[in-house]
Amino acid sequence: MVALRQISEQRDFAVSSASLKDVRSFSREVFEKVNIDQDLKDELVLAIAEAAQNIVKHAYQGEDTEDKMEIKISLNNGELEIGFFDKGRPVDKENVRHRKIDDVKPGGLGTFFIQQIMDAVVFKEGEKPWINHLILTKKINY
Amino acid sequence: MSYKVTEEGDISIVHLDGEIDMDVTEKAKEIIMPLIEAKKEVHLNLKEVQYMDSSGISVLIESHQKANEMGKKVILKDISKSVLKVIMMAKLEQILNLG
Repeated sequence: MVALRQISEQRDFAVSSASLKDVRSFSREVFEKVNIDQDLKDELVLAIAEAAQNIVKHAYQGEDTEDKMEIKISLNNGELEIGFFDKGRPVDKENVRHRKIDDVKPGGLGTFFIQQIMDAVVFKEGEKPWINHLILTKKINY
Repeated sequence: MSYKVTEEGDISIVHLDGEIDMDVTEKAKEIIMPLIEAKKEVHLNLKEVQYMDSSGISVLIESHQKANEMGKKVILKDISKSVLKVIMMAKLEQILNLG
């Protein structure tokens, strides 16, 4: 298989914890097309799944919904950009922070993992019909 | 996620298999917590766990803390490479009992 240097793929998912395995499958499928090492692929899949989990947990607070969330993975000239779009509660950017890592307690690690793995994490107001637009970026050497 | 529990004296060994994410954390807790509450030493065998996210890590922390409260231990055994990487990313390798 020829490794691709440019990618732009997107998919919709139900906003549900049961969708997280589909989010991972989609991410793995996309990264299989790119010539990067397996450890980095695994980290990127984790970051994407954590961001999707945050939509389920925080933007929708675990409530049942018919809404979909959209994930778009783009790679262009070594710049990886992963976009997350949802119609949940607007994210209060000031409140998006991970817990202190030495304060050991369950919860609050997902955002920490995302920040560890990615170069940048940016929240934007979504363009209609979306409410939230999260952008994760990372420079990829391949 | 699937699981198997075996007993060796006062030790309960929980073999977890598959991917541990937010969707299965309640199930994981339902398996592990009663064993801790029964004052068993619990060994979690993570050899066949191919993926664990922050929700899975929360189950490990919660189990560890619950066992401490009960004066018992939860020991993580045969940790797969991918799970160990996430434990280390969370800087928990010195906190959790890695056996």
